[in-house]
Amino acid sequence: MGKLAVQIKKMRKTTQQSYITRMVNVVNYIQQNLDNELTIAVLAEQANFSSYHFHRIFSGMLGESVKELIRRLRLERAALQLKTSNDSILTISLAAGYESDMAFSRAFKARAGVVPSKFRKSEQASFPCLSRSSVRYVTNEHISSFEPFIDKELNMNVMIKQVDNMLVACVSHQGPYQECGHAWDTLFSTLAPEGLLGGDAKMIGVSYDDPDVVAPELLRYEACISVEQEFSPTHSTNLKNVNFKTITGGCYAVTTHIGPYEKLNETYQKLFGQWLSQSDYESVDKPCFEVYLNDPESTEPEDLITDIYLPLRDQAHG
Amino acid sequence: MDKIDLFKLHKADYIAPKNPQVCQVTSACYLAINGIGGPGEDDFNDAVAALYAVAYTVKMTRKKQALGDYVICKLEARYWTEEKKCLTDVDKSQWHWQLMIRTPAIVEVSDIAQATKVLTDKGKTKSVNKVKLIEHEFSHCIQVLHVGPYEEEGSTIAKMAAYAKDQQLVSTGEHCEIYISDPRRIPAERLKTILRMPLSNSLDS
Repeated sequence: MGKLAVQIKKMRKTTQQSYITRMVNVVNYIQQNLDNELTIAVLAEQANFSSYHFHRIFSGMLGESVKELIRRLRLERAALQLKTSNDSILTISLAAGYESDMAFSRAFKARAGVVPSKFRKSEQASFPCLSRSSVRYVTNEHISSFEPFIDKELNMNVMIKQVDNMLVACVSHQGPYQECGHAWDTLFSTLAPEGLLGGDAKMIGVSYDDPDVVAPELLRYEACISVEQEFSPTHSTNLKNVNFKTITGGCYAVTTHIGPYEKLNETYQKLFGQWLSQSDYESVDKPCFEVYLNDPESTEPEDLITDIYLPLRDQAHG
Repeated sequence: MDKIDLFKLHKADYIAPKNPQVCQVTSACYLAINGIGGPGEDDFNDAVAALYAVAYTVKMTRKKQALGDYVICKLEARYWTEEKKCLTDVDKSQWHWQLMIRTPAIVEVSDIAQATKVLTDKGKTKSVNKVKLIEHEFSHCIQVLHVGPYEEEGSTIAKMAAYAKDQQLVSTGEHCEIYISDPRRIPAERLKTILRMPLSNSLDS
């Protein structure tokens, strides 16, 4: 191996370590504040992450969402309390965030295999292993490091691209991402009669929200087609749903997702959790965007090709 | 309103067997553009872009006018040479081609004219004015599925030729392809292409 390669590998290791170190702060903060309300903004702050993409980095590295981790840690704490305290099961249930001991019992059994009362009495019942993640509930100690959820060979093709500002015509959509079709219909049928579907018009989708955090009905999306200049319609009766905006250029990490749009989120998780956390880059507070390279009407879902653009902080890379 | 999907409606025209098989392709309407030269060269690529630009502009404009919606079909191509020579014996620069996208019969010539006009006004895609609406009947053909790079079609074509000989069928000399996969991103070894050999006689004649 060349000297440079060794150096790069070392550097990689350091950055990855720094993502892990920062994420450890977040995990410890969660452990210490299990009974408080934990917002994404507060958690992101603990580790000096920009809050915009924090959750995707988190779930990508930890393999579970913030909500799931909190629920699981509370269950693990409850298991410990069942064994070590004399508190009633109801008290423990409420502390774990459940409305009743029935609900707690169900959730506990689903993950630990036995109901809480049985678990409490049994000498042999081992502590439930509730997750593939290496983060466990601990008392009186801090977590100093953890194994990222995905730490295999980096089998993801990512290119760093310098992107120019792009003027687009766009139609907004709010609701489940799968239902954005009507926004596309409006956009296409406005642009087609203007002769704007020719040339190298790009089909771009901007997803503003992480579907793991934001409720489906509140997800914000924009269907965009690149245009050369703003226009007022000569062939359409109105333009009221179509806006113009500039997708700001800059440094982007680009990876290609092949497969159904429903599985885009998996690639996002991998990009943030696996690639970004092992790279020398930082994301910035701008939404990612997607470029659709084929027609979903005439293409089998497994053959759909989508480029995902993740905005990075510009850096002089030496 | 249901979307028309000609590719699914006329499945029999797009059978893609592993081994060559005879089929009968009915007469149909296509958006088409002609040219000369090697596939993948500038003229060819420009023609593909022009064809798709017209196809989507027509589709979406008609949809806007509530004239019905349909799926844009896969790209098809016919290749031939001037003196009906075997394509492999002639330099690619002398290949004639017609690129086609099957289109529902409800689409009218005036739709194409309108689309061509607005696209030309914006001046974005050259050669849109070469796109026309045609009717074509492939009629009797041999079809087979080719999986792999376009450059390796030779052996699959040889299989078709052997089958034709065996069945005493005669090719018109034209070679046709239907592009199932997207060559921009699908790795060459996984590209799926239907190869079609139009026949000048048929089994039952």
